[in-house]
Parts: sequence; structure tokens; C-alpha cells
Amino acid sequence: MLDALLQRFRQHDRLALSRLLSLVSRGENRDEILAAVGAPSKPSRVVALTGAGGVGKSTLIGKLIEHYRGKGQTVAVLACDPQSPLSGGALLGDRFRMPVQPDEGVFIRSLAAVSGRGAVADHLAAMVRVLEAFGFDIILIETAGAGQGDTAAHELADVLVLLLQPEAGDDLQWEKAGVMEVADVVAVHKADLPGAERAAGQVRSALDLVMGGELVPVVRVSSRSGDGVAELAQTIDARPLRRHARAADAEDLIRRAQETVAVRVAALQRARSEPLNRLLVEWQKGSVPPGEAANALLRILADAEANRADRTQSGVTQV
Amino acid sequence: MPDFPPARIVLAKVGLDGHDRGIKVVARALRDAGLHVIYAGLWQTPEAVVRTVADEDADWLGLSLLSGAHMTLVPRVLQLLREAGLKDVGVLVGGIIPEVDVPKLMDMGVARVFGPGTAMADIVAFLRPRSESTHA
Repeated sequence: MLDALLQRFRQHDRLALSRLLSLVSRGENRDEILAAVGAPSKPSRVVALTGAGGVGKSTLIGKLIEHYRGKGQTVAVLACDPQSPLSGGALLGDRFRMPVQPDEGVFIRSLAAVSGRGAVADHLAAMVRVLEAFGFDIILIETAGAGQGDTAAHELADVLVLLLQPEAGDDLQWEKAGVMEVADVVAVHKADLPGAERAAGQVRSALDLVMGGELVPVVRVSSRSGDGVAELAQTIDARPLRRHARAADAEDLIRRAQETVAVRVAALQRARSEPLNRLLVEWQKGSVPPGEAANALLRILADAEANRADRTQSGVTQV
Repeated sequence: MPDFPPARIVLAKVGLDGHDRGIKVVARALRDAGLHVIYAGLWQTPEAVVRTVADEDADWLGLSLLSGAHMTLVPRVLQLLREAGLKDVGVLVGGIIPEVDVPKLMDMGVARVFGPGTAMADIVAFLRPRSESTHA
């Protein structure tokens, strides 16, 4: 089942992409899927838009989709809305504000974000990697309505755009710690309303107080008139791809290794590997200490890999 | 809260019908019943609705029609769903549907028609056992 989905994914089947995203969004077969979809042929630009509920994130994303499609770029959107802490239900109403005709170059997935997790859905980083492997040029992440302290989107994206609106507070608001410190671009949205210029000026002067580092661009944009949308997109496009600029650290390598282990274990399970089966039975009985069991697992995987290499060399078709 | 993944349902209005009070009340009730409701809103084409169902990997599609165009638009949506490989998605229809059309719609493949006066509890009860068994 999963193998068939992955096969269809490689043939660029959109329904397979959709199903794989659902699995990953629930954390099911996540590591196996990530390893199987592999590295992207070219990195996507991942842009997160955050800001308070009602500031216009979905509407602006609708405008950005039009802009990027107009330039021939493909766009995927992961749009988060809050999940009820009471019923577990959610009303996902973001795509409603992104009036897009069916278009092969646009993919929108609505997601529920559990409260208290930074206004983003679980497993979002993994979903980004699946979309990236599918080949989208731009991946837009929309957070659920977020507060001053919701900074989780920063880690997920190359560029974090913070949306503000006129009349949202006095100049002390912009001095506060939190998301203002990690935004790569600040967009004062609804710039057709009175007070936008003042808000932009206050934000500008607050951001300019940061010692060292480069200045964070502040852009005024109106989805109603369309003014500033192209400028915002240009500002976003001018930012470096932060996820890739970050030097890969040991943790990344360990994470990759974990994924590789998960995939190979799953493959051996499907092949009904006898040594693996014996180890798992012992493990479930609790009769083998954890450290020893882990070492045994790694040995089994290494042996299987060595066998596979032998077979490949001797011309036997690889499974 | 249930320990199976919540069912995902797309709610949409197809065609030129601007009456969205009913569908919004249903959206809210299903949210409170623990479903993940993707609200696609007004003036959707059948093509756009089917694309939404595909991209959202929805288990259910709820269509609301008060325009009288249901015998044209619903078959079109059902046909596009089949063409898209989405025949397993359960389709519900709500709104103003004359009784004489209900069996016709069910014959075409609609799972259930909910008319005016339907209790929210009935809609929830209809969706819930199926959602549980889907993910059992």
C-alpha cells in the first residue's frame, strides 16, 4: 500500500502526494516516507506567514499565489487553523479566502493546529519536505492566528513574514520580545486603511534599534487594492534560503540516520527477515537489555545491507 | 477526545447560490462534534470542489444547494469525483431538495440528503460510526 503510494508519488501523482501528506501529518510512517521521497532536486523557498487572527494571512496568501503563478512558479500552501481543545474538532477556513481556480500549479492543504504548540500543526517540517520533494517552487506556511510569543514558524521556514495591521497598538508593542525578534520581513497589511503609514514607521524605528545584523525590511501591503503585493514578494525572494544556509549539524545527520534505520527495518519486516523477527520477539518479551538490542538491530541492518551489495554486484536484480 | 484521527469533511456550495447560513451552522456543529471541517465556501464550480476534496484528502464532501440546480450540479460533482479516483468519498447533500429528487440523488451515489429541519445530532450520528470504522 505504502510502496504503491510512493511509486505513484515518484510519477508525480497528485493524489498520492495528498495521501502521503495525510500519513505524515499524523506521524504515520513518517521516517520511512521522508527517506523514500528523498532529497529535492532543487530546494523550495519556504515562506511562513504569521500574525494575529484576522490580520489577513489567508487573503494575502491568495494574492501571493496569484503573483507567483503569474511568474510561472508552482505554489503549495500549508494553512493552519486552531483545533478545539474540547472536541478535537476544527473549522479550517483558510482556503475559503484563497480564491484560486483549479490549477495544477497550486496545492492547498488545511491543517488543524493543537493549541500551545506555536500556532502550527504537528509534523509540519516533515510535510514541507514531502512537498519539496514533489517539486513545488514556493511553499507557503500559514500559521493559525498567532500571538507575540509564537515563534515556532521561524524554525520551519526560510523566510518568516510577520503580518501586522494599523491600529493594533501603540509603539511600545513593537519593542516587545518574541516574534518581532525573529521575523525576517514585517508586512503592515491592510495598508489602504488609515494609520498604516504610522504603524510602519513605528515598527521601522523599533526594528532599527537592533544592534548589529541587517535591517529587517518593513513593507506596506494591501490585498484589497493589490498595492505592495509585488514588492512584498520581491522582498521575500531577496532573502537567503535560511534552512539551507544553516550549517548542517550533527543532529541533522543523526536524524537522517534514524530515518534510514526506520526505512530499512520496515523493508526487512516486509521481507520477513528471520534475524530481525527473532530480535523483535526477544525485545517484546523484554528479555534483552535496550542497549544490547539496539546494537543487535544495527548489526542485522549492516548484514542485510552487505548481502544486498553482494547480490547487486553479482548481477541479481535488486528488490 | 476520540483517539482516532478526526474525519475530514469539505463543505461547499456549488453554483450561483448565495445562501450560506445553513452550511455555516452545519460547519460549526461538525466542528463541535470533533470533525475537521474544511470550509470551501460559496460559488464553487464542481471542478474546484473536486480539486479541494483531492488536495485535502477528505473523507466526506457536504454540498449545500438552495438554488434548485441540484439535479445538474450534484451529478456533475459525482462524475468528476469518480474520474479523479475519489469514488470512496462519501457525498452528503443539504438544502432545499424536493422529496421526489431524493431517491434519484441516492441512486446516483449520494450517501444521504439532509433537508430543512434536520437535527444536527442526526448529521453527526450519520457521520460518526463511519468515521470510526474508517480508521479502526
